[in-house]
Amino acid sequence: MTDVDFERVCGVGDLPDPGKQVFELGERYVVVFHVAGSFYAIDDVCTHDGGPLGEGFLEGFTIACPRHGAKFDIRDGRVLCMPAVCGTPSHEVKVENGEVFVKIIERPKKKYVWG
Amino acid sequence: MTQTTAIGLTQDAFETFLASRLEPRWLTDLRRSSWKAFQELPLPHDASPSPKQEEWRRTDIRRFRFDKFPLPSHTAHASSSNGQPTAVGPLLAAGLDLAGSAYALDSRPCKARLDPALAARGVLFGSLDDLVQSHGPAIEPYLFTRAIDPLYDKFSALHAACWSGGMILFVPKGVVIDQPLHMFSAMSPGQSDFGHALIVLEEGAEATVLAETASSDHAAAGLHCGAVEILVGPGARLRYVNLQNWGSGVWHFAHQKALVGRDAKLQWTIGALGSRLAKVNQHVALVGEGAHAQVNGVMFTDGTQHLSYHTLQHHEMPNCTSNLLYKGALQGDSRIVWRGMIKVDRDAQKTDGYQRDDNLILSESARADSIPGLEIEADDVKCSHGATAGRVDDEQVFYAQARGLTRKEAIRMIVSGFFQQVFDRIAVESVRDALGDAIGRRVREYD
Repeated sequence: MTDVDFERVCGVGDLPDPGKQVFELGERYVVVFHVAGSFYAIDDVCTHDGGPLGEGFLEGFTIACPRHGAKFDIRDGRVLCMPAVCGTPSHEVKVENGEVFVKIIERPKKKYVWG
Repeated sequence: MTQTTAIGLTQDAFETFLASRLEPRWLTDLRRSSWKAFQELPLPHDASPSPKQEEWRRTDIRRFRFDKFPLPSHTAHASSSNGQPTAVGPLLAAGLDLAGSAYALDSRPCKARLDPALAARGVLFGSLDDLVQSHGPAIEPYLFTRAIDPLYDKFSALHAACWSGGMILFVPKGVVIDQPLHMFSAMSPGQSDFGHALIVLEEGAEATVLAETASSDHAAAGLHCGAVEILVGPGARLRYVNLQNWGSGVWHFAHQKALVGRDAKLQWTIGALGSRLAKVNQHVALVGEGAHAQVNGVMFTDGTQHLSYHTLQHHEMPNCTSNLLYKGALQGDSRIVWRGMIKVDRDAQKTDGYQRDDNLILSESARADSIPGLEIEADDVKCSHGATAGRVDDEQVFYAQARGLTRKEAIRMIVSGFFQQVFDRIAVESVRDALGDAIGRRVREYD
């Protein structure tokens, strides 16, 4: 793992707390969250219907898909509520010198199980 | 000499494109009004929610950029030494005695050929770009008038404004063409294809058309923004095969529509193997009493391919039948979306409509979405639909392995058997073989 893999997305002050914003990173769109002083990043894709999570309702560490209400934990992409049944990919985030960086983590897609 | 305009679908590029074509006034006006619509219409993800946006719900094109692709500049025909546009040969026409063939490269026409005996009987076949200049009045009533609406969405408008490298078949009343006609469009890396196919069969005519696409580089980026317009006159018979075999970096957007007249028959088979992302509207309208349409689809996806097909069987008149069968097999992280609708108008009594979509999921993370639908206003009809999705049966694999086949051979055989129901409907043997071989080569071993 090298720092080269991290890509700057925004400044710490650019995202309110709580807040979220969608960024295009490589071949995917990623939602970056700022909640309780920390930053998190997950794919901008609901695994139920492909809905844009970045347009969803953020409550605490939970994001709800605007289409059918499936919920995901923004900290690790875990699915929390039907109708989605598998998690969405989460990515590594670091903050340095007031800038937010995201590193895309490529993982095998999860099977259709809870958690 | 051939050239392409600067990268990007800009106003300047469009003006250069238009100036190079020397087309009839009515066509230039159509292009200009469509270009205006293209500029005004929003991209799907920027549009307000509407029933039409539902088509794009599962297809994300936020990464698509119009400014990465050129418009073709039609200063001359694309050159080719052997009559074919690229080193990549077509699949469908192998070993066939063809009545005619027409090729295009990067949306520019190459050489076309038609049996002189058919030309003498009034058949028109070849480059639409050329024939619209020499036979404009004969073509004008059919081009973007009855089948494809240029204002449907941003891509249909772009296509109507910039179509190039098109192909046409016009078969006059009562003329029967026994041998197939072949249309082949190819694309070089980073190029665009705005091909338009116009097929018109007058009353009692018969023809078989094999159309296909391919990329000279299997992974290079490209854009296809095309359309197919088919008008089958009363009592006419058309067999149409359309194989989409672009490379894995091509964005494929297409509107395809057929109008089937009184007592006419259409057999329309699509093969979808290539492209990075495909969004296709395939509509069949039964506009004459007693019309029949059979629609077949074969899809095979791999990697991160995303194919989105939206079919409509529109019964406008009584006593018509339509039968749609789509079959898809998916590998890797690929996805197929199929939304099918049978729409029956109030006057279309005694309709018999059917649609079915089967999917074979060959990997853990591939995904198929099948969404059939019925919209019926008449009260004396028979309409039904079905959809399935499943994995290869391990017991079938074990059975085949117990008889000496490797796991890969077994899966290839099972996949082939899965598609056999569609292949059985295809009368042209070379097409069956080509599709079967192309799919067989793509099947990978998986756990």
